[in-house]
Amino acid sequence: MIHGTHDHDFRSVLAPPAAPAGLAERVLQAARERRETGALALRFDIAASERGVARLHPGKGEIRAESRRARTLAERAREELSEYLEGLRSYFTVPIDLAATAGFQRAVLEAARAIPFGEVRSYGWVAEHIGKPRAVRAVGTALGRNPVPLVVPCHRVLRSDGSLGGYGLGLDLKSRLLSLERETPAIVGSDTTRIVCRHGCPNEQRIAERHRVVFATIAEARQAGYRRCRRCLPADH
Amino acid sequence: MSQGTSTMIARTRRSETDDRELLARIAAGGEDAFTELVRRYQRRFYGIARRMLGDDREAEDAVQTAFLRIHRHAAAYREEWSGATWLYRILTNVVIDHWRKRRRLGEVPLSATDVVGTAVNVERVDVDRALAKLPAEARAILLLCYVEELPYAEIARARGISINTVKTQLLRAKGLMRRYLKR
Repeated sequence: MIHGTHDHDFRSVLAPPAAPAGLAERVLQAARERRETGALALRFDIAASERGVARLHPGKGEIRAESRRARTLAERAREELSEYLEGLRSYFTVPIDLAATAGFQRAVLEAARAIPFGEVRSYGWVAEHIGKPRAVRAVGTALGRNPVPLVVPCHRVLRSDGSLGGYGLGLDLKSRLLSLERETPAIVGSDTTRIVCRHGCPNEQRIAERHRVVFATIAEARQAGYRRCRRCLPADH
Repeated sequence: MSQGTSTMIARTRRSETDDRELLARIAAGGEDAFTELVRRYQRRFYGIARRMLGDDREAEDAVQTAFLRIHRHAAAYREEWSGATWLYRILTNVVIDHWRKRRRLGEVPLSATDVVGTAVNVERVDVDRALAKLPAEARAILLLCYVEELPYAEIARARGISINTVKTQLLRAKGLMRRYLKR
């Protein structure tokens, strides 16, 4: 197809197909929805112990904590939650206290925590992961009782046919969270320091938008002359 | 200078001031400015995203993400950048990230609409397949050069790399494309 080695050959071969009808309208609608999702963080009630965040559910934005340290943790959770919902963070650093859960449910929640940002797994995968391959339905129930949704990402678990399954906070929010994660970049570098970070790392948050460069892999970032941040240690999986 | 060229330059300059002004208005909360920017850039953004990702739906997703990021971060735009360069940096950042996530999931989709036995569509699939084999960075640079026709200096700025890296990546990308498409 490229007969010679001339540049105009590349131009014609690479000419892309036309944009689909209604694209602009869909983009504008998504922008309106995003503004609503970002405002959600302020409405969560958060309960924390000395060990970490213990409960999280939609309410009036109240904090329940028995000590100063617990309060600090709850406030930190709200801040990270708000950054996450605005697409500014890809992981949570605030500790979680799952003491109120035990046995099977605990194992299910731990498995859900292992699903990386921006990825999804099936209920069956979770069941296999905890060594109970036949307990697919029970996995759904355990995830439905997740005391710390979003932070323990039970929204990343779908049916094996790709349909959404269930979600304690409503399927609309589940699908919004999944598209938010698809849209948030994971490996971000600064063209002034030539360092790449995980999205949400404190060093990454200081990068001005105009100095941001996103890479597909750490290997490609290295080729472009960037090195890994020592604080968040981004890695190719 | 021919009249055609001077008209073209005048047009480029005008759209450049418009881009800067639009971004300033978006930063100040102007929703109509955002609507105008989306209408102005949607075709160009879609072209890059579609060629980069080889899939209609994913391209639309990426275009949407890029515009959302522009909307959120318009206040971070600085006038020492050309408006278009800043927009292309955000777009290529988003598109490369989409590619990364998909690669990790281990799938390289080609949309069903392409897999139709007409000559034109066969050609499209070939180009998409060849492009899909290029490293993401080299592919983005190739498209900025040949689809968007950005000068090397602008490409360098949009991708946060040196002009020499742009040139070497381009040579590499073109060499690989020729090899893949000859088969």
